[in-house]
Order: sequence, then structure tokens, then C-alpha cells
Amino acid sequence: MATIAREGEAVVGGALGRKKFNWTPYFFVLPHLIFFAVFLGYPFFRGLYMSFTQYDYLRPEATKFVGFHNYVRLFTPGDLTFNVFWNSMWNTVQFVLYSVPLLVVIPLGLAVLLNTKLPGRNFFRAVYFSPWVLSVAVISLLWWWIFQSQGGLMNHYLDQIGLETPRWLSTLPAAWAAIVIATVWWTIGFNMIILLAALQDIPGELYEAGQIDGATGAQAFFRITLPLLQPVMVFIIITTIIASFNLFGQPLLMTRGDPRVAGGGGGTEPVMMRIYQEGFANSAPDQGLAAAMSFIVAAIMIVVSIVNFRLFRQAD
Amino acid sequence: MWSKARKNLSLLAITSILCTMLAACGDTGGGASTATTGQTGGDQPTTAPTTAGATETTAPAGEATTPAGEATTPAGEATTPAGEGDGMTLPEGCTNVELSYWNPFTGPDGPFMGQMVEQFNTDNPTIKTTMTTQADYYTQIQTAAASDTLPDVAIIHVDQVPTWAFRNVLRPIDEVATATGLSEADYPEAVWNGGMVAGKRYSIPLDIHPMTMFYNADLLTAAGISAPPTNREEFEAAAQAITDKGQKGFMLTAGFPIQQIFSMLLYQNGGSWFNEDGTKATWNSEAGVEALTWLKEAQTKWSEPNLEVDAELAAFKAGGAGMIWNGIWQTTNVTGEGVSFKGVATSVPQIGDNPGTWAGSHQFTLPVHKSGNDECKDAAAAIFIKYMVDNSTTWAQAGQIPASNTVRESAEFQALDPQASIAPSVEGAFFPPAVPGITDAFQYLDTAVGTVMSGKETDIKKALDDAATQADQKLAENKATFGDAPSGTP
Repeated sequence: MATIAREGEAVVGGALGRKKFNWTPYFFVLPHLIFFAVFLGYPFFRGLYMSFTQYDYLRPEATKFVGFHNYVRLFTPGDLTFNVFWNSMWNTVQFVLYSVPLLVVIPLGLAVLLNTKLPGRNFFRAVYFSPWVLSVAVISLLWWWIFQSQGGLMNHYLDQIGLETPRWLSTLPAAWAAIVIATVWWTIGFNMIILLAALQDIPGELYEAGQIDGATGAQAFFRITLPLLQPVMVFIIITTIIASFNLFGQPLLMTRGDPRVAGGGGGTEPVMMRIYQEGFANSAPDQGLAAAMSFIVAAIMIVVSIVNFRLFRQAD
Repeated sequence: MWSKARKNLSLLAITSILCTMLAACGDTGGGASTATTGQTGGDQPTTAPTTAGATETTAPAGEATTPAGEATTPAGEATTPAGEGDGMTLPEGCTNVELSYWNPFTGPDGPFMGQMVEQFNTDNPTIKTTMTTQADYYTQIQTAAASDTLPDVAIIHVDQVPTWAFRNVLRPIDEVATATGLSEADYPEAVWNGGMVAGKRYSIPLDIHPMTMFYNADLLTAAGISAPPTNREEFEAAAQAITDKGQKGFMLTAGFPIQQIFSMLLYQNGGSWFNEDGTKATWNSEAGVEALTWLKEAQTKWSEPNLEVDAELAAFKAGGAGMIWNGIWQTTNVTGEGVSFKGVATSVPQIGDNPGTWAGSHQFTLPVHKSGNDECKDAAAAIFIKYMVDNSTTWAQAGQIPASNTVRESAEFQALDPQASIAPSVEGAFFPPAVPGITDAFQYLDTAVGTVMSGKETDIKKALDDAATQADQKLAENKATFGDAPSGTP
């Protein structure tokens, strides 16, 4: 018995000797880990718990555990929350579909243009980037003025050239066009800068080699530029999708979620606005229900991001 | 990649800030030439579309000129410090009481309230009131409630009082109300009853802000109408006459405040929002169908279809609309200096058989303090509230109608134009039953009225029925969670 024990000790001792546990790397990640745990980890699990309760933070006496009730409600047609939630979810998906392609393609085009030896290109880079520094309230109000129906700039000029003058803020699909245009104008600058930086990292020799082989401009773009931009494109597409999913301020300020749609909710009401409504703006708010909605949205976003990564990995 | 990006970014940051500043300057110039409607500012009428959540009203923003000329400082006028005249004094042992007072008056009305508070402090040297005016008011209230830092006195809209009473923000103030000496006899019945929740008093009315008619007197005169319409026949004739002259007689949006306008016609037709105990929606009555039918026809005959929120105000300011109905808080925005024609505010006409005016009301409340209540502060609050109510003529200059009958009848108030001409309509003001969370039920009515006015729904009865069914469900849900009486208060 003693021998066995000694043998065991020897084995353990040997293992430790070779892979001695080292605390140093953990101390390096500790500062961030603390912040992550306090500001992301705890709220996440707390939110998850809340989604299984009926919750009003001002009425602790009325807060109770309800299990999957909130989720069941959101998936039960005919429930009061079903129509408004899925209506807003669909609105958000529509916005993502309309805005993300524009927010990837337009900045890419601009980045390629501004990567050439254009006179005054720094000026143009600044011009295209500048809207991005404005707040959502500023850009929404600006575009509200342009799109509003009584003497708004847009309809004034459309009328002068004899085109139809839609009600940009109160009818569908014009209201989506208005919100998408405002958003694209506001945020293309950021994606453009990231792409511009990536373009500058592509070595010039590759294009020279291409030229020698007789590649046209288009061939150089599709065979050299795009493939080398791929990692950055994945980043851009995923962050843009997530940003578009978080749509809130523009419809809040430009359309207030209007027009009302039959069945409840608004035609331009994004899911974030609905969550805010149910969690905080209602007179009888339920942060539990709002948390459940948030987790459904988060699940959908996680799935979308995974699909994204898979798609691009296959392309490799 | 990132080092280059950083270099670029720092360069860009500087240039873009410069560009933005330049762009901003350009915008101001362009914006001024078109009609100006404030999108922000002002406080929130709380029966406004709850879906938007944030600031609902389009109360005149900073640019709206306050009637500075008319607004003589209260120092000269308010020579009757009523609080002291009534012999209300602090109990023995209370000296230098400090009162914190919150309100949502971020619009041009704020300074008027500030004057009143200053005057109160001068007249009552033993009480020091500090006023805090906040935007996004109810979010601030909620946060303060969660951290137990609520003020001593707070303004709350009447339809929100039951909700905040049940959500442990407000406490019953029967004793304070008795101390002020104010009673039912001093107010229109509806506005006084709005402060009664589950058999206890929670609030004391300061003002009533009604739906108001604004008309372009130049257009009315050009159409051969000499006086503003006061009943259905006159109104329809006026709207038609202006429309015949090529302008829009009566402009209506498909969003806020269309639900409020519908509600007013509903009451004028003898209907009501809810049954008496606030458990069932009753707007799908015949009176409701008739009201919405009239509105839809009015839109077809005298307005443009599918207008967004504020479009009627913009059209009115541009001189293209004869008459509009909106909250009294728009007065400085669309009359007087605000427009280039003769814009006039007056009480809304009576389209149905009964008087009825949609209105909101600011009320004084005493929030909860978890550490318990201070007798001195409560006594001081009673003196403060009484003083504010008695001197609300100053407040009326900001464009509100005082809730107190005595003040409305005073010669001083009667001299105010247009407030005095709008005042009679507040006798017909109606408010939702004092049930917590009842304003949530209005989102369904918003949908019904909004979809009918935008043409998405053509069956008026069905739209109202559906909205009522959903509202009933919501009311039942609220009842289940709130119970019959506030639980937090003793």
C-alpha cells in the first residue's frame, strides 16, 4: 500500500513538475474579467432569471416566479403580447434586410474610391465620415424636417420635378425608406473608415503583379481586393447586422412607430421599442416579459451571427 | 491595419468636427425658412399614444416665443399671498423647512412656475422650496423611487396618479388635503375626483390643459365667417367654406392627437371610455362609431389623408389650414408671434349633444419616503400647495387653465386672452377612472382610430370592437397584478 501511495505521489509530483500551475496569465485577464462579470455576466444571468418572473422593480411585493409563462405568452397566437411582439420583430428584420446590404456596399464603394490618389481625398473622407459623429436625435430631427409632409425639402423637390410625393413618415413602405435613408447617411462613415484601413493594408505589389498579368480593374477588384478584405468584411457584416437589430432612436423620433397597423403595434415600431414599451413605458410594466422578449431577440441574433461565421468559413 | 486606421481617424476626427459645425450652421439657416414645429420639449400629456414612450407632445420648444409682453411678473400682481392670509402656519418647532419640488415643465411654461416658487419663498421666509424641472419626467420619478430619493412635492398628471399610487411612488394625503382647506367645491367635479384612488386622496389639482381649437382668422374671414364656430352646424359650414376657397378647412392627422379628438367626440355623443369601475372598455358604443364616422368624413371632406404627427400644425403655421384641434400647450406655437397671420385659440366646438373636452391635469402629490414622513415638511407642503393653487393666475399666463373655480372666476384671470375664452370648456373635461395602469388600455384605441384614419381599416365598428376586446384583456391583467388597493402604503 505504501508503495502504491508513493508511486501515486511520484506521478502527481512529476505532472506538476512539468506543467506547474501558473497564476500570472490569470492576473493579466483579471481586471477585464471583473468588469465583464459585474457589467455583463451578472446582468445576463440576472436578466435570464427575470425573464422567468413577473417583475416590477417598484413593487417587490408583486414580483413572482412564473416559470416559462412569459415565453409561452410570446409564442401563443391570440395573446395580447403575441401580435405586437412579432410585428415589431418582423419590422426589425425588414430593417436589417433593407439597411445591411446598403451599409456594406456603399461604404465599400466609397472606400475604394477614396483609396485612390484623388486630389483632396482627405477632405472627402472627412465629409463622408462626419455624419457619424452626430447623435441619433440630431440626425433624426434633420431627416424628419426633410421628409415631413408640409413643406418638407424632399417632397418640395419631388413636386417640382413632377414626381409623386409620398407621405414619408406616415405610410408604408415610404416610412421604411425614410428611416433607411437616414440611417445609411448617418452610419456609412464608420464602415467606410474600417474598409479604408483594410484596403491600405493590401500590398501594392499584388496589384502590380496583376497588371503585369493583364488583369482588368474589375478583375483586380474581384480577385485581389475582395478576397483580401474578407476577414474585415465578416467583421463589418456582423457588427452592422447587430447594429441594425438594435434600431431604436430613428423611428422613435421620426415616426413614433407609426403608422398604426391593424392587430396592434406600429408599422415602423422596432423590437427594441416594444421591449422598452413593455418594460418601462407602460403604466403597468413587466420587466420580466421585457426580459423574455430580449432573450428571444438575443437568441435570434446569436443564430444569425453563427450562420454568418459558417458561411464565410466555407468560402475560405 | 490599426495603426494606419488610428492615424486616419485622428485626422478625420478633427476635420469632421469642423465639417459638422459648418453643416450645423447651414441647417439653422435652412430650418428657419420652413415652418417650425418643436419636436421636443414641453411636458407629456399622458393619454397620448403610449406606444411612443418618450416625449409625446409637440409643445412649443425653445424657439416659441413666450407671451413675455403680457406676462407681467407676479411680484406686481400677486399682492394677495393667500397662504398666509388664510392663517396657515407651520406647527410649533418647525423652522426653516426645506421642500424639494419636482415638475416636468421644461417648455416655455417652466419660467412661470419658477416665478411662482420664488414669490412663495419670499412670502414664506420659514419655508425654502427648491424647484427641479426635469425632462423625461416619469423615468426620473421611477429611478428616484427605486433609490428612495423622491422629492417632497411632485407634479403628476391626473391619469397617472393611480398608477404611481399603486407602484409605491405616491402616498395618501388626506390630512394634507384637509390642511389646505381645498375641497370638491373649489374644483370641477371630474378633476377633483381624479385624485381619489381606492377611497383615499392622493393629489390636488393645479390646472387643466384642454384640447383647444386654433383657427386662422384671416382664412375664416376670407370665407365669409365672422365668428369662430361653436357647434356642429357652424363648424361644418366653416370647414366647408374654407375648403371651397382652396385651403384645407380642418386638418387631422392619423397619429397623435387623433385618439384624443375621437375621445372628445365620444363623450360629446354621450359615450365614455370605460365603465365606471374601469374594468371594461365602452368606446365601441354607438356614440363611438358615430364619432369615428364623423371624423373619417371630416378627414375626407376637409383634410389631407394620412398625415403624420405634427403635420396639421406645420400646415396651419404655413397658412394652409383653417382650423385644427390640438392641446392648449400649442398656443404660443401657432398663435400670436408664432405665425404670420391672425392665429387664434379658442374653446373646441361642441359637435355632439353634450359638452365634452379632452384634457389633462397637473396635480400636486406627495411622494413616498421610505424613512417615514416629516410632519414639518407635510405642513409646509400644505401651505405650498394652497399658495400655488390660489396664485395660479400666474401659472395661467403660461397657457394653462387653472383648475380652481375661484381663480378661473377672478377678474385677473378673466383678463387673460385667450385663456379666459378657453376656460369654460374645462367644465366639460373628462378623465379616465382612477384605476392603476388604465392608460395602457389607450394603446388599443390608438390602433383602432389610427388604422381607420389611415384607411388600413374600413370597418369602424369592428376596429373599435377589437380594440375594446384587447383593452378588456389588458385591464383584467392589470387588475390581477395590482389588486384593489395600493399594498405598499399603510
